[in-house]
Amino acid sequence: MTERHPRKRSRHVALVLAGTATLALAGCEDDRMDAQSFPDLESCIAASRQESLWFTEEDCRKNFAAARQEYLETAPRYESKELCEQEHGVGNCGGDPAQQQQAQGSGGGFSFMPLLVGYMMGSMLSRGGGIASQPMVNTADGRYSTPRGEQSFASNRGTGKVPAATFQRAPATLGKPPMSAAQVSQRGGFGAAATARPGTRSSFGG
Amino acid sequence: MEKRILPERPGWRDQARELGFAFADMGGEPYWDETSAYRFTLRQVEEDIEAAATELHAMCREAVDRATRDETWLARLAIPRQHWDLVAASWARGEPELYGRMDLAYDGHGPAKLLEYNADTPTSLYESASFQWLWFEQQQLAGVLDADCDQFNGIHEAIVARWTQICADGQEVHFAADPDNPEDYATVETLAWAAREAGLGAHFTPLAQIGLTADGQFADDQSRVIGTLFKLYPWEDMLRDEFAAHLQSSGTRFIEPPWKAVLSNKGILPLLWQMFPGHPNLLPAFFLADVQAALAGGSPAAEIAPAFEAARDRLAQGHVTKPIFSREGAGVVIHQDGREVARTGDDSYSHHPMIVQGLARLPDFGGFRPVLGAWIVGETCCGLGLREDRSPITHNLSRFKPHFIEG
Repeated sequence: MTERHPRKRSRHVALVLAGTATLALAGCEDDRMDAQSFPDLESCIAASRQESLWFTEEDCRKNFAAARQEYLETAPRYESKELCEQEHGVGNCGGDPAQQQQAQGSGGGFSFMPLLVGYMMGSMLSRGGGIASQPMVNTADGRYSTPRGEQSFASNRGTGKVPAATFQRAPATLGKPPMSAAQVSQRGGFGAAATARPGTRSSFGG
Repeated sequence: MEKRILPERPGWRDQARELGFAFADMGGEPYWDETSAYRFTLRQVEEDIEAAATELHAMCREAVDRATRDETWLARLAIPRQHWDLVAASWARGEPELYGRMDLAYDGHGPAKLLEYNADTPTSLYESASFQWLWFEQQQLAGVLDADCDQFNGIHEAIVARWTQICADGQEVHFAADPDNPEDYATVETLAWAAREAGLGAHFTPLAQIGLTADGQFADDQSRVIGTLFKLYPWEDMLRDEFAAHLQSSGTRFIEPPWKAVLSNKGILPLLWQMFPGHPNLLPAFFLADVQAALAGGSPAAEIAPAFEAARDRLAQGHVTKPIFSREGAGVVIHQDGREVARTGDDSYSHHPMIVQGLARLPDFGGFRPVLGAWIVGETCCGLGLREDRSPITHNLSRFKPHFIEG
């Protein structure tokens, strides 16, 4: 040590800015798993016959039934068709099939749900499990998502790697009162920069 | 204090690009400029800057304590009434602060003067804490700077240490900013890397993608609930946004805490002057509404009349008016000897209440005027970053200049 005084600077710093493109801060990247989605049971069965994949025709049938049941239990329910279409796109909503089966009388008002437009299967083999499945519904911007809605996909037909969290079950909606407009999750309530005259703010910092 | 011409590091632009420092040049002008650097003595750094800024922060905390107990002040600071409790309660609970940057006028002689305190959303953190540090290490290795030189820059280590103090091990922290603004994002990323180093989980979410769950909690762009939120977004705007009604009920812990709304507000400057009149590191400051008539030869508001009379001559020689909320020099007007000598074109904040502050003339080094950014982490000053500008008002196209300590 040749320094006469205690040093005034850090011994090390963080030098690299990864930037938003790499999503570095999402960082603790969730485990990703192989997944494939299908618009219906038939396309799954066809795929299972054509290619040697990680699922069989039997898996298609079992998981389609499971996804259908999960759809009935966890897909979002809305108190009006307008509200449902606002969240899932015009023409993509229908009445609640569970209520139609029960011939009304369950107390709550009639509810509307996004239509079941496919299902996704994921391989849990690398983690010692079998196959997971989730139903798919439309999003407001014409994409596809599971009922949790965290991830959206351009298509209901395709293969890829998705975060394991995609297969987490959404909270149950069956037997609960349908969502009103006030309960629908909102986004974009921050960032209006109200103290600057509109359109003038270049940076939030300074 | 001097400005010394130094050779640039060969290839520093390539290295800046590799490191992701994408805004080293902005709008065709250099932002990072190492053709010269400012040199300070250790005494100047330790006594005039470090000790002064740490003391100023302590004074600021006293001012926050006063303001949060006094509705007159909360009103003067234009904090929306429905959020007075949020702001005051966060102070009363002792919610800890993370960081801030004091802008100081200093010429190497006499006390540094506090121009303003960006205590809420300061940027230029990466340049100060990291790229400036790299410049110093490389220039010392190359022999451009002597082996016994140093730099006032313990910022990174101080932030890591602060994160460990104010968060539990393994705590998940969300960082929100505008991803399309590279300067804002770089500042947030610098804080987030330090949080990771401190053992915390750091997640980025675009500010505008924050959502509200059915239970009234805030959630990120992946719909994960936000427990602790660092936001590079000013409190004065948070308190006026559509989601403001959910700030308290969300249960979210905010960093900076809500009481920073009091501090990162130029209305704090008149309060500081009232509490610590004549303090060597403060400039006389008043609300314009109290002194506008007096500046034109009439009488000041009765409550501040003695303080105004004591400062009348100084203000007449030179003063600055600026809005209580503003960024990057917006709305600043400089008056000298009875006439306006400079103003920024940007008046996007000038509809807010204004303050008047005695003019601190920035020193002229080769046609540029430096402003010192004294970084506060926790309650202590731990580093320095300088920006200089040809204009007497530092704005967003000013240049960042490295510094070193010699002697």
